[in-house]
Amino acid sequence: MKITSKTMAGLLRAGIYLIVALTAGLGLGACTTTTIDEFRQGDTGINTGESIVILGRRQGAAYETGADFVECVGNRMGRGNGAITVVPEQTFVDALFPWFEPRTAPMRSEDLQQLMAQPLVTDKMAEFGVRYIVWLDGQTETSNRMGSISCAVGPGGGGCFGFGSWEDDSSFEARIWDVSSHTAVGTISADASGQSYVPAVFVPIPLIARVEANACNSLADQLKQFVIGG
Amino acid sequence: MLLLLAGAVVLSACGASTVTVEGSYPSPNIPPLPMTLGVYYSDALRNHVYTERTDAGKDEYLVNSGGSHIELFNTVLPAMFQQVIVLDDLAMANERGVDAVFIPNIDEFQLGMPQKTRLDSYEVWVKYNMRLTEPGGDYIADWVMTAYGKTAQSTFGGAEGGINDAAVAAMRDLASNFSISFTSVPDVRDWLQPRLQ
Repeated sequence: MKITSKTMAGLLRAGIYLIVALTAGLGLGACTTTTIDEFRQGDTGINTGESIVILGRRQGAAYETGADFVECVGNRMGRGNGAITVVPEQTFVDALFPWFEPRTAPMRSEDLQQLMAQPLVTDKMAEFGVRYIVWLDGQTETSNRMGSISCAVGPGGGGCFGFGSWEDDSSFEARIWDVSSHTAVGTISADASGQSYVPAVFVPIPLIARVEANACNSLADQLKQFVIGG
Repeated sequence: MLLLLAGAVVLSACGASTVTVEGSYPSPNIPPLPMTLGVYYSDALRNHVYTERTDAGKDEYLVNSGGSHIELFNTVLPAMFQQVIVLDDLAMANERGVDAVFIPNIDEFQLGMPQKTRLDSYEVWVKYNMRLTEPGGDYIADWVMTAYGKTAQSTFGGAEGGINDAAVAAMRDLASNFSISFTSVPDVRDWLQPRLQ
């Protein structure tokens, strides 16, 4: 088959149209929906010199709360208006070894009372000035993977063609314990979902829904407000 | 020259990879027991190497955890007991004036690789035999402990890093469980009770 310059120009134009159409059409689709729920059980507030620690739950066999998500929430809470001092997770867990390991960590706020009866634990908590312990539990799951992208390289150049998409769902829950009263003071849950797309006409254009990042930001902002109280 | 290099690459690709477990272990925050403990590390523990084989039976990974286990016990035990003496020979226990001798050993070591388990993580499971004897060798307690550690498979990290991190997590699990549950082991508790009064 003979490919004329006219046909080539037509193909190129069609490709450009396709990219523009997909970008415009799917730009909205790459958005993320986030829902935050708050359940308050007690009054909160934090004084100067007091801090919080955010710990990931890692008891489950099926999944573990990612350390990067815990770090993301902590970083967000530690900056901006009304920044709160957040003790890094690993520093806290190492300093209080062996009481906050996956196998030994307190599961209920009542267990905290028992734990705080240990003078060595109380001393370390006081050293860090920990007022609240926030337990984060959850994960991000990817589902509905569809499509395929093929890439080829030849002497005249290379390119990709195809289309891929997937859906991310983040579901996290934060339980807040007051160390001074050994009680649970509230629960905040964050659910986020979004569809990501990668159309490829010569060059793949990723339109990624920042699902986990949005869940992190929303949860951290809500947690900050919750801890500050008022 | 090129042929030699290619040969070396092919040969190295055929051999098993050795993973020498390296990690740091925190000291437990628990009140030390008022006793002098002798600890004896057998050659089996000191030189423990687990061999992971392919489905075809070829050695794939050699996991050397002996050194790391010694480091772990040398960190954990001094926090649990007022004094700890490492014994090179069990016969020296009486003359070193220890109250009891602790002898840890590895009974079983298992490795879960993502390509075999179809899970997105490296897993390590270890079964230990812990023995506590009188300085003269008489029985005080003998119990089994298990430890488990896993680490997520990362996109850019190699298998060696994943195996190391899972092994370190398992040993940390052992350290936490051992340091908290030691005085609850029935035979240990019975032996300790009159000494702590």
